[in-house]
Amino acid sequence: MITTLTIFIPLLGAILVMLLPDEERLLRYAALGVAAIPLLLSVYVYFAFGDDLGVAALSQDVTWIWSLNIGYRVGLGGLGFGMFFLSTFLTVIAILASWDVHRNLKQYFAAIFVAEVGMLGVFAAQDLILFYVFFELTLIPMYLLVGVWGDENRRPAAIKFFIYTFLGSTVMLAGFLAFGILADTYAMDALGGGGGLSRTAQVAVAAPILFGLLVKVPAVPLHSWLLDVYVSSPTSTNVLLSGVLPKLGTYGLISVAIPLLPQGVEPFLPYVAAFGVINIVYGAFVAFLQPDLKALVAYSSIGTLGFILLGAASGNAVGLNGAVFQQVSHGLYSALLFILVGVIAARTGTRRIEALGGLAARMPWAGGLLALGALAAMGLPGLAVFVSEFMSIMGVYATFPVQGVLAALGIILSAMYLLYMLARVIFGPIERPAYEEVGDAGPAEMASVVPLAVLLVVLGIFPALLMNIQRPAVDAVLSVIGGS
Amino acid sequence: MTGQAFIALLPELISTGFLILVLMVGVYSDSNAGIAASLAAIGTLAVFASAAVLLASGFSGSFFGDGFVVDGFALYFKLIVAGSAFFAVLAAARWSGQTGDAPEYMTLILSVVLGSTLLVSMRDLFGIFLAIELATIPSYAMVAFDRSRRESAEGGMKYLITGVIASSVLLYGIVLIYGVSGSAMLSDVADTFTGTLTPVAVLGLVLMISGFAFKLSAAPFHFWTPDAYQGAPTSAAAFLSVGPKAATFAVLLRILLEGMPGAAPTWTAVMAFLAIITMFVGNLSALRQRNVRRMLAYSSVAHSGYILAAFAALQGGGVAFAVQAVLIYTAAYAVMNMGAFLVIDLVGEDAKSYNGLVRTNPGVAASMALFMAALVGIPPLSGFFGKLWIIIAGASTGSILVYIVVGALVVNTVLSVPYYFGIIRNMILEEPTTDTVTSKGSGAVRFSVYVLAVLATLFGLLIIPLSALVGASGLA
Repeated sequence: MITTLTIFIPLLGAILVMLLPDEERLLRYAALGVAAIPLLLSVYVYFAFGDDLGVAALSQDVTWIWSLNIGYRVGLGGLGFGMFFLSTFLTVIAILASWDVHRNLKQYFAAIFVAEVGMLGVFAAQDLILFYVFFELTLIPMYLLVGVWGDENRRPAAIKFFIYTFLGSTVMLAGFLAFGILADTYAMDALGGGGGLSRTAQVAVAAPILFGLLVKVPAVPLHSWLLDVYVSSPTSTNVLLSGVLPKLGTYGLISVAIPLLPQGVEPFLPYVAAFGVINIVYGAFVAFLQPDLKALVAYSSIGTLGFILLGAASGNAVGLNGAVFQQVSHGLYSALLFILVGVIAARTGTRRIEALGGLAARMPWAGGLLALGALAAMGLPGLAVFVSEFMSIMGVYATFPVQGVLAALGIILSAMYLLYMLARVIFGPIERPAYEEVGDAGPAEMASVVPLAVLLVVLGIFPALLMNIQRPAVDAVLSVIGGS
Repeated sequence: MTGQAFIALLPELISTGFLILVLMVGVYSDSNAGIAASLAAIGTLAVFASAAVLLASGFSGSFFGDGFVVDGFALYFKLIVAGSAFFAVLAAARWSGQTGDAPEYMTLILSVVLGSTLLVSMRDLFGIFLAIELATIPSYAMVAFDRSRRESAEGGMKYLITGVIASSVLLYGIVLIYGVSGSAMLSDVADTFTGTLTPVAVLGLVLMISGFAFKLSAAPFHFWTPDAYQGAPTSAAAFLSVGPKAATFAVLLRILLEGMPGAAPTWTAVMAFLAIITMFVGNLSALRQRNVRRMLAYSSVAHSGYILAAFAALQGGGVAFAVQAVLIYTAAYAVMNMGAFLVIDLVGEDAKSYNGLVRTNPGVAASMALFMAALVGIPPLSGFFGKLWIIIAGASTGSILVYIVVGALVVNTVLSVPYYFGIIRNMILEEPTTDTVTSKGSGAVRFSVYVLAVLATLFGLLIIPLSALVGASGLA
């Protein structure tokens, strides 16, 4: 029950903000208050039930369409809890970071809340059709968030985003349906290990599902919708776009495709790992060339998603744990960087890297946190990203050594472009006299970035806080796929 | 007529009674628009209620020498016809009053209801033909009813000419089938249409399906659709594209399943080709439209194609799912398409008049956005469930041809995103212009739009259980 409650409270929040009078302060506090409830509930779940989230606990199972054996089946498992928590957390952060949105604030918060329902639902769904329904539920609010509140390039960006990901998820649905028809149920707990399908059937079903999931991530040849969308979005939408949405794809890979279709996914795993490497290397190279700070962060974000694909493909405990963990740490660092880019752009009026410089002197807090985020992105030990990237590489090296080595080289590339960026943006002399006047991040902005930075550090030092919850679930996946 | 038969004919008797009543109002009363509309609304609701009571009480049986059947399947479609007619009456209430001919227009709607409710219960090919004509002939007049617009007369004329040709083709087909099997009863036809078909039988089958393809605006017999729907009064286009069409799909399903199960390999193949052509023609033509009414007309062609895809899946392991798919899709389509057409009454038919609608009229804009998203098939809105069942039915058949049809359906779904979302983009992402209409149309239309929007949203909770109930008791 608490799972269902947490998923649908944001829907009530959406209705509430639509009913409130159109007063900015009131709306912001109301939205923040509503968003805090799912966060508190998921924190409560962590402390009260954290040790019991083996496969799927706190579940609810109501058959919805009898003739097809489709049900409203939700539950929280160790694989999904990290992202479930992060979704509630990043929604609060997104609302805090929405200072650059003033127009139609009601509708903006309502769209964020509807998107939150979809995101939470995906990480809790235990039925394939329900998973798809929640997966698609994020699409329209995200389309609106980009299309209504983005910059001048927003309309083509929004429609491109919609058509690409809709194509991907429709193909994925076809795979789900074929799977359900062959196995005669859509309940995930009954489908573990392939639902009795032959190897050939599993491969045929896995191909469309993987395609849909990889478009969502996006894995690199399928990524061309992404840059325009990231760059056009308002800052707070970026938090969700980069922090949570790609994980709908990777989570589907780790906790739907791999455990439910182990033999079907197996022949594709080397390619998934190769996609991971391509993401890392391509992301790093293209980020290096970006004149726009936000585009650089966008490519950095695509790049480090590659580590999730690597870990997922590894098929061993170290790699899978790394992948599940990287979903959370990637969300934390990319949200941090996107917000700081928003802060810098708001203060200086530009995102062009060559026009920036010497900001550390004027913006010590924002600059310092930008440095922290960049160091996290390149995998500095002591920060959460290091733990998961390291584990992903270790895991994949054991299974696919070539991909492992290449990915490790990718880390060096990412260190190069990130340090080069820091050198140009926050260090050095102040380039323009106008920047003498620039002030540091304000209280609202600090409130939205400091929690992210704190969690990055805390999870970097005590990864067991999250690892302990996900480990039993990862072990369960391993017992299905026969890895170690 | 026995008491049972009287009960079986209850929906038809009620609609006949109200039809006469409304006509009399036109004859004997001068200021009659309000009375006629209220009577017609009560009449359609009474038809709906009687069909609902019969369905809930599990009434079923075969009457008049097995020529008229009442089962869950037939009653379900009577609900769709009467329900959509109710919204058509609401939508037409004020407009038809302004034309001064409200009782006549309401009479036409009720005649279409009578014909369509009879149609879904017929088990005799000639009875089917008569019921189709009873539903179609008043609809020619409905399309041409708006005398203030030239397009209405033009659309009505085109609809009439093609409709008459379609009827004669259909009749030729029926006559040939009658000639081959020596009886027009579906149960007798079923005995003849097995094994290898004689050339005459194939010709009869093809002519009959072509006649139906005209009526259902399936490509390549669809060309009357955009002109007729563009010219027709909005309420007529909204009603004719869902109510009688659902009934026609239903009776075609009955003919094929009860009358020609032995010839399934032939007609499923025909349906597969019709479905693929219709989906592509509908969507590719809709993509180029700037006029929302024409766009919706082509969209209705595309949706006929989707439903025909379910017909192609009436084989192998897919039969039960395909019947359910037709049940669900026609209801889902009735809700979302009716809603979208009625919004035209509130906003206008030029795509530009939707610019920035969300700021001038948020309720209508949100409803229209829901209808458009439902027509694409975004979950959890109504259209999603229709497509879900068709895909499941198709995937359960084990036929390569049907797999191709399902693939075409997926491709077409993505193909349809730009034009449906073009409207959403205009409403939400564009700024209001001078063309943007703030408010027009009556409160009744607005009310209908909101009710239909709620139905489209909660479809999965409200109508899926109902159709599952019928699927268990009906044809399959």
